[in-house]
Amino acid sequence: MQCEVKNKERAGVINPILTCQPCGAQYASIGIKECIGIVHGGQGCVMFVRLLFSQHFKESFELASSSLHEDGAVFGATHRVEEAVDVLLMRYPHVKVIPIISTCSTEVIGDDIDGVVLKLNNGLLKEKYAGREVHLIPIHSPSFKGSMVSGYDVAVKDIVSHFAKKDKPNGKINLFTGWVNPGDVTAIKHLLSEMQVDATVLFEIESFDSPLMPDGNSVSYGNTTIEDLTETADALGTIALNRYEGGQAAQYLENEFDIPTIIGPTPIGIRNTDIFLQNVKKMTGKPIPASLVRERGIALDALTDLTHMFFADKKVAIYGNADLVIGLAEFCLDLEMKPVLLLLGDDNTSYPDDPRIKALQANVSFQMEVIMNADLWELENRIKNEGLELDLILGHSKGRFISIDYNIPMVRVGFPTYDRAGLHRHPVVGYAGATWLGEEMANTLFTDMEYKKNKEWVLNVW
Amino acid sequence: MPYHKFKCSECIPEREKHAVVKGPGEDLTSALPLGYLNTIPGSISERGCAYCGAKHVIGTPMKDVIHMSHGPVGCTYDTWQTKRYISDNDNFQLKYTYATDMKEKHIIFGAEKLLKQNIIEAFKAFPDIKRMTLYQTCASALIGDDINAVAAEVMEEMPEVDIFVCNAPGFGGPSQSGGHHKINIAWINQKVGNVEPKITSEYVINYVGEYNIQGDQEVMVDYFRRMGIQVLSTFTGNGSYDDLRAMHRAHLNVLECARSAEYICNELRVRYGTPRLDIDGFGFEALSSSLRKVGLFFGIEDRAQAIIDEETARWKPELDWYKERLKGKKVCLWPGGSKLWHWAHAIHAEMGVEVVSVYTKFGHQGDMEKGIARCEEGALAIDDPNELEALEAMEMLKPDIIFTGKRPGEVAKKLRVPYLNAHAYHNGPYKGFEGWVRFARDIYNGIYSPIHQLSFIDISKDEISTDTKFLTQKMISDVNLSEEVACSKDLREYTGKYETITALRNKTYPDFPAQKKLSVV
Repeated sequence: MQCEVKNKERAGVINPILTCQPCGAQYASIGIKECIGIVHGGQGCVMFVRLLFSQHFKESFELASSSLHEDGAVFGATHRVEEAVDVLLMRYPHVKVIPIISTCSTEVIGDDIDGVVLKLNNGLLKEKYAGREVHLIPIHSPSFKGSMVSGYDVAVKDIVSHFAKKDKPNGKINLFTGWVNPGDVTAIKHLLSEMQVDATVLFEIESFDSPLMPDGNSVSYGNTTIEDLTETADALGTIALNRYEGGQAAQYLENEFDIPTIIGPTPIGIRNTDIFLQNVKKMTGKPIPASLVRERGIALDALTDLTHMFFADKKVAIYGNADLVIGLAEFCLDLEMKPVLLLLGDDNTSYPDDPRIKALQANVSFQMEVIMNADLWELENRIKNEGLELDLILGHSKGRFISIDYNIPMVRVGFPTYDRAGLHRHPVVGYAGATWLGEEMANTLFTDMEYKKNKEWVLNVW
Repeated sequence: MPYHKFKCSECIPEREKHAVVKGPGEDLTSALPLGYLNTIPGSISERGCAYCGAKHVIGTPMKDVIHMSHGPVGCTYDTWQTKRYISDNDNFQLKYTYATDMKEKHIIFGAEKLLKQNIIEAFKAFPDIKRMTLYQTCASALIGDDINAVAAEVMEEMPEVDIFVCNAPGFGGPSQSGGHHKINIAWINQKVGNVEPKITSEYVINYVGEYNIQGDQEVMVDYFRRMGIQVLSTFTGNGSYDDLRAMHRAHLNVLECARSAEYICNELRVRYGTPRLDIDGFGFEALSSSLRKVGLFFGIEDRAQAIIDEETARWKPELDWYKERLKGKKVCLWPGGSKLWHWAHAIHAEMGVEVVSVYTKFGHQGDMEKGIARCEEGALAIDDPNELEALEAMEMLKPDIIFTGKRPGEVAKKLRVPYLNAHAYHNGPYKGFEGWVRFARDIYNGIYSPIHQLSFIDISKDEISTDTKFLTQKMISDVNLSEEVACSKDLREYTGKYETITALRNKTYPDFPAQKKLSVV
């Protein structure tokens, strides 16, 4: 009985858990103010990613395409990037940042987006847009490498390294949230504000939950400014909540500007949030205030009502982005549950070296599988053909039919969660996230007990 | 000049001839925008790619098939679970999608081996499924993998399976329309004529260009079956792979979406002499005349008329209830391709709304011809619209509602314009007599939503009524209605159920005795 870490054995993908790199780069792009990314490739690479974002957030985000057509695919299409930059700058006078995001097609044909940026910087921008601040940032995110997770990581790093410039120390900490929801950003900002820590939250997407206002505003965008990005080099430290989503940028700042850096742990659950606060305390010297002790107490109080009564020994399968999956698994263990199957949706070869995975291998005493490069068939096949019995699934909406077809209760978590209302508004991180996750899991199990008439009478008194 | 100049597009003169206003007395010779040209890079157009046109629009609605894309994972993931094409086999095609997961090493050394491995794995995972479609993507097209050869090899080794190959990479053509064309032609070239069907009626049709969005196909097939017509195949919604291999045996191709599927009808006419009849399942008038035309073709007009009479009597009072309340409301009809002409006239004539603008993302000039001909004078027609133009148009036209896609719908929401999903529908199906009433009901609920009304109030400036604690749609819609209409006993609100398709699947049909020997099989 132990934790086994292995790769999916099949070559192909049946029902993918993650999409490709350009999506991640686009997610980073929409986190910046006065920024519209141009995706250099076919139009679908943008249209469907915009649709995906709108499915999840119920909002529209601006992203442009170089609209690669047949002639470009044959003869090269860098001129399409030049035209796209010009058209975008002419029509969007507020835009200052344009990530140029490559895709599989334009990487295969070998279009030199770095060269185009150089050419535009020395040509078009000087001639036609003199006096206007414009940053063109090439981002190599071919779809045949990594996943949306690494695409986000690469883009965050490339954008930070473009801007970061040492000036005077600003006394702030850099905080890379990773691929989170607006509710998570609110929760993290709340923790930092309780600790009276001045932080620059990077690729800050709290505003993705945008209101319907009497004056009518049409698009949603993130809140990270050029100034925020530039000043990353002046921070007193960097915390990246996630190892694989923003970790590279944090590492870059440490290597380049000697900024003390802490990467992880993803603050999901009480224990990881404790560690996060401890890290913030160490970095800033600010104490953890009584208000957070109380808040933590409320979360513990809520979870104590649920653990051995309802959660103990419940078998859980978790899939999605690696940081999220690992964080959730750790939380489930604290809640007395058994996360028996973890599906990491991409082929990052460093996963086996992740100390969190090593800790699972060293300490888990029940049969647990961690599948790397996994797809959703790894989950469904085990249920359908190999007798895997589960009490709960944690994952995003693309796996919804497994829950539906095999009658297994499921809590939607991660990205995307389009088949439930407003989940982007709720945090999974921090004490608030721990409470919400715990109670959401419990209520999902309760509904299932009632629906299946499985000891539903237990709930009369507890 | 009829051309409409958008302020936001003054700096890109190429856009000048892509928008027109249909002026008084103007005909199509003077008011037709350019169409189906290459997209202007960086314009934030709404267009998709040829791969999605082939795989996502036309291929995947086929229900009993493993739909595999040969490329990196993104094309597959991104086009999965974004549509509502259901099927009567528990939505197999909605639930499962397959990518060969091409990686960097495959880009360098080729991915044909990987493809073959994938095909075998997928058939092994789903032993009951013996049919597969393979879609090329940008990456596999550019590295030059011979997908057809791999498919042929597998079919030789596994005689029980059949595989269709569609080579429509994302960059092929200005929009998804390029993919529609390629998959039409590929299907007739590779598959039609391979299977001999069982003929069970004297009257046999293929139902073409119909994707069973929320059950549209099943509604229409119900009418055909009530007429004693055998629907041999549907291209492709709720359609079966093997049925579609037998398309050559139909007596008539009944074509719904001419934008996406006229190519195969035209080829069937050339190669097998099967006539093409364009029909329209949207709107009482268009649907009635469509059923009549099909009836006329087979000499069973009376059967069509019986259905029309029955359905009209059942549903017309409900449609008219909404028409009274939708009269004069301004609509932006902004779908993808063919719905601008399917809907433009029908919603005006039968629901009373004014179409103030039509646009098409991937339509050709022919679609615009039909759309502009059918919409009102003064309407703004836009080809390949982009984000800023759409915003400018909405601000200028101030529509009461907009019919468009999911993501542009979110833009409209922020401008406080209600939106209905023109591609996937809100509470469809919208085809059929009842469906048309459902559409009218959705429009009505969109326009007269009490919550929508609240979005116009600025609590920091406006006087808040302390009397009104709630509103109903009817309280809003009936304010200016005459007593006679508001209380009419002849009209009524929609009385159908939330879900209407399951009942059709369990239905039995009258036997129409055949006059002659039917099948060769």
